[in-house]
Amino acid sequence: MQRRYFLSSLAASAVTLLAPAVAHALPTNRKRFLRPPGALAEAVFLSRCIRCGQCSAICPNDAIRAFDFENGYSSLGTPYIVPREKACILCMKCGDVCPTGALQAIARDAEEIISKVKMGHARVDKSLCLSYQGKTCGVCYRACPLPDVSITVGRLEQPQVLADCVGCGLCERSCIQIPHAIRIIPRTTGSGPLSENSKAAET
Amino acid sequence: MTSKKPLLPPPRTFLNRLRWMVLCVVFSMLVLLPVVGVYQNYAAAHAYDFLAPSEKLLYDIVEPATAWFTNDPATDLDAIKGTTWSANFFGYKISDPLAVAGQIAAGKELYWPFLFTALIPIIVSLLIGRIFCGWICPATLIYELNDKLRSWMARYQLPVGELKLNLRLKYWVLLVGVILSFITGSVLVAAFYPPAIVGRELYYVIAFSGFGVGAVFFLLTLLGDLFVAKRSFCRYLCPGGALYSLLGRYRLVRIKRNVETCNDCKKCNQVCQFGLDPLRDDFGQECNNYSTCIAVCPSDALQFTLNTHDTPYQRPGHRGRQYRQHKSSTEKKRQAA
Repeated sequence: MQRRYFLSSLAASAVTLLAPAVAHALPTNRKRFLRPPGALAEAVFLSRCIRCGQCSAICPNDAIRAFDFENGYSSLGTPYIVPREKACILCMKCGDVCPTGALQAIARDAEEIISKVKMGHARVDKSLCLSYQGKTCGVCYRACPLPDVSITVGRLEQPQVLADCVGCGLCERSCIQIPHAIRIIPRTTGSGPLSENSKAAET
Repeated sequence: MTSKKPLLPPPRTFLNRLRWMVLCVVFSMLVLLPVVGVYQNYAAAHAYDFLAPSEKLLYDIVEPATAWFTNDPATDLDAIKGTTWSANFFGYKISDPLAVAGQIAAGKELYWPFLFTALIPIIVSLLIGRIFCGWICPATLIYELNDKLRSWMARYQLPVGELKLNLRLKYWVLLVGVILSFITGSVLVAAFYPPAIVGRELYYVIAFSGFGVGAVFFLLTLLGDLFVAKRSFCRYLCPGGALYSLLGRYRLVRIKRNVETCNDCKKCNQVCQFGLDPLRDDFGQECNNYSTCIAVCPSDALQFTLNTHDTPYQRPGHRGRQYRQHKSSTEKKRQAA
């Protein structure tokens, strides 16, 4: 009797633990997030990351959070960044501290960062952007850590995202429009040039 | 008549006291490091005036505590980071062997820089055995306090679970965890390994001010320890404990019962957190050198020795009643003959 009680309680706890995991594993539930800079391609990243949380602990901007079940069971405990809440300041400490190389160590140097970091790519929604509505703004350009490399502004401070955008999200974080007119399309979602880690996967 | 209390506790308890001290130090490190990390974030932002009163309080406490050895907390205090699952000491990285096992299974590759981070824990476990569990594991501290609650409950006739399961169950859990990691390509062993969970959840609650799902799992294991069996998770289910047990199978340092001084009092069996049978010399790979049995032994019969194997059952202790009766009966027989 006692063994049966134990086994049934074990099964019950397993179900309670797994039910939300199954629910959240459905792709429709996924929210837009970035992996920290230097992250390997998503599948390799998941197999490398041991969920130690050191990247999150070392992040001076408090940008790196850790998943519960929001992104499915396989992402449990892995780090992510929601740029509208807190964006990456490209200090590159997380890559240094990562024990498994799931986040590659990248020197804190503009050339290195431009060539190796690809967290996503910024996209401007012209129907929301103030500068495209005739009100000069240019905040995203001024927030960008790599101005004129990742983003330029033209007439009336209208932003143009360039190919070398690393996707740190500081523009999205600083956008004064609500909802934000510029957002990072993560490299893990979408298709075409934005898809899976177009730069880091090659190296 | 009042019994005179000795000034110092007997020396046999020192190791156990030391063990508790180490556990407390490790646990308080796991609390302090996130607190320091939060302070570092405030320091890096140079925005003291914008902090909320509670945040200012934290800043005002940590700042004078660290100011005497660092002028640049945002950088210098990064020297020690992490949890018992994986940590960073002045650039030297150290990880749990289970993390390495899970990573090898999930990645299907050997990533050498990471493998080396588990070198010291593996060597120590090979020599001293399952020492991590009793001396470092932050979950052990909570489990042992939980066990005190359990004995208190038992004293007041509250229901506690007394299920006996096979100790080998945890090796299957380890195997399942590794296989799960292999199939999903994701290091899932971290999800049901209490020391990793405790470190992570302490960090979440301090830095993100909220527990994650791991806390639910950990709570379940605590309830299991109360209502299923004593220390049930560590004994029967812990995948890391299983791995450490395997590593420590041929360990050098073991506890040995001295049959000449043993008096069969059974205190060691009652106190053993892992339900082993020191009274019958049954230590095996499950013993994790907790030293609680040494601390409780009134005749100092249990000692650490250097040996790669346990001694087989040595029969009842020579100071016990069983042995005396046996001896006197054999003497009577001899006299009769």
